[in-house]
Amino acid sequence: MQVNIGGLVMKNPVTVGSGTFGYGQEYDRYFDVSRLGAVTVKSLSLQPRAGNRPPRLVETPAGMLNAIGLQNVGIEAYLRDKLPFLRERGCTVIGNIYGYSPEEYAQLAEILEREGGADAIEANLSCPNVHDAKTRGCKLVSQSPERVAEYTRAVKAATRLPVFIKLSPNVMDITEPALAAEEAGADGLSLINTLLGMGIDPETRRPILSNIVGGLSGPAIRPVAVKMVWDAARAVRIPIIGMGGICTAEDAVQFLLAGASAVAVGCASFRRPDTALRVVEGLEAYCARQGVADISALVGAMKVD
Amino acid sequence: MPHVVDCEIKAHQEAAPGHYRMALHCPDIAKEALPGQFCMIEVRPGYHPFLRRPMSIERIFRDGISILYKVEGEGTRLLSGYRTGQSLNVQGPLGKPFPLPGEGKRSILVGGGIGVAPLPGLAERLMREAGRTPEIVLAARTDSLLLCGKDFAQMRCRVTLATDDGSAGMKGFASDALRTLKPGPDTVVYCCGPMPMMRAVHDVCAELDAPCFASLEALMACGDGVCMGCVVEANVEIEAERMVRVCADGPVFDSRVINWSAAGKR
Repeated sequence: MQVNIGGLVMKNPVTVGSGTFGYGQEYDRYFDVSRLGAVTVKSLSLQPRAGNRPPRLVETPAGMLNAIGLQNVGIEAYLRDKLPFLRERGCTVIGNIYGYSPEEYAQLAEILEREGGADAIEANLSCPNVHDAKTRGCKLVSQSPERVAEYTRAVKAATRLPVFIKLSPNVMDITEPALAAEEAGADGLSLINTLLGMGIDPETRRPILSNIVGGLSGPAIRPVAVKMVWDAARAVRIPIIGMGGICTAEDAVQFLLAGASAVAVGCASFRRPDTALRVVEGLEAYCARQGVADISALVGAMKVD
Repeated sequence: MPHVVDCEIKAHQEAAPGHYRMALHCPDIAKEALPGQFCMIEVRPGYHPFLRRPMSIERIFRDGISILYKVEGEGTRLLSGYRTGQSLNVQGPLGKPFPLPGEGKRSILVGGGIGVAPLPGLAERLMREAGRTPEIVLAARTDSLLLCGKDFAQMRCRVTLATDDGSAGMKGFASDALRTLKPGPDTVVYCCGPMPMMRAVHDVCAELDAPCFASLEALMACGDGVCMGCVVEANVEIEAERMVRVCADGPVFDSRVINWSAAGKR
């Protein structure tokens, strides 16, 4: 089950979506989180962030919309209070980072490497919830291939750790930012972040989320995510961590067959905290059932006549 | 340590128009649960509704718990369709319980509408462990929506009623009824109900210098402190700590912690 994702060795190809698993310890009450291929932590910023005002959350058909706004403890408190648990447990850690400029991303990556805070970096260039939708629109870094390249180069120059770039599905052509990241030196891609969405209360005529716009996740977006992974995998050579609505091992297999080399379980953990572990176990069972000796043999192995 | 378990429904009855009480067989959860904590219930297998529903624990028995809920939306409507003998997946106990008052202190429990849900269990614990029978204020829009009156009467609690329309007890709000009981610094007030009601209860308590603990309700995705979806604004100087999680930092808060003017806006 071991995989190598752009230099990051994972004992199995299953991690978790940033922001859906806290800093690991929260779900260790339900299962030994070190059994996952890696724990991807909640986005870290240089300063702690309070996030958006509530309401931040609404359920949608087979999914949910959120506009948390990256509420997080900040890099300093992460290293001090959260990291020791992950290290003690022997978890492989993917440090998801968010900044306001290429320099901030570089600084975060540099700190994480220096302090042993992560085994790989995932640069979140695609959070839909940190802009004020009313005044500034929803421009994401990952919607511009030029900016993707610029940010990727900055992070790559700051660290020797493997660097994964997390992209938004809200683009005309996912291969453009994917290629931009690859050409700028990214070691892998994380696909997909949430899809932009919104809801309106018909009675009050007001937006349901305080930030108006939020990010859609859950099984509802899985077919979109599988297709984007398939598109990107045919365009780039670097490995892809596929995510978007994965609830079962069979869901995860779809991503592998589409071209992902690893997968992340996202908000399905909210419903069943041990979903990611069940996906690990389910993948083992799937491989045994299908006579797959090396899970990497599934990557991009969709059969088309 | 929360558990995730399939629980058999031992009883399920209408408690008032549109309100139901459900007893669940879950010894593991019951063993660890304390009044004020909640559980997350999967209302249907499959992908929709996608999220569990947070439910206050009403009473705690040796081999199970009961919940009391009002049918408000899709989740509770589905829940109301379950019959005795069927099973539900339940995660809990979650969140922080009501703190006990100091030895021999007077306590007043204030419940507004379905907000009374966590209070019968609290009353039982107070009688057992704090050595003094709590007083109760029950408030609702109208007589038929006053819940748990009998349970409190059985515990020999003194119950003060208030209804918006005057159909039972005094005509007025929970906070008006609380005021007639003259809480002071030696009284601990526990309240649960709609935000405007709890805000008014907090105001009375602040004015009379009575400590007050409020149990908040919120939409939640994880119930576990992970998703940051259920936050409310707190009176915290440090910007980054201003948003507190109802699920993990609460649901029970010292009422002075909550920024009621911001939190009441929802």
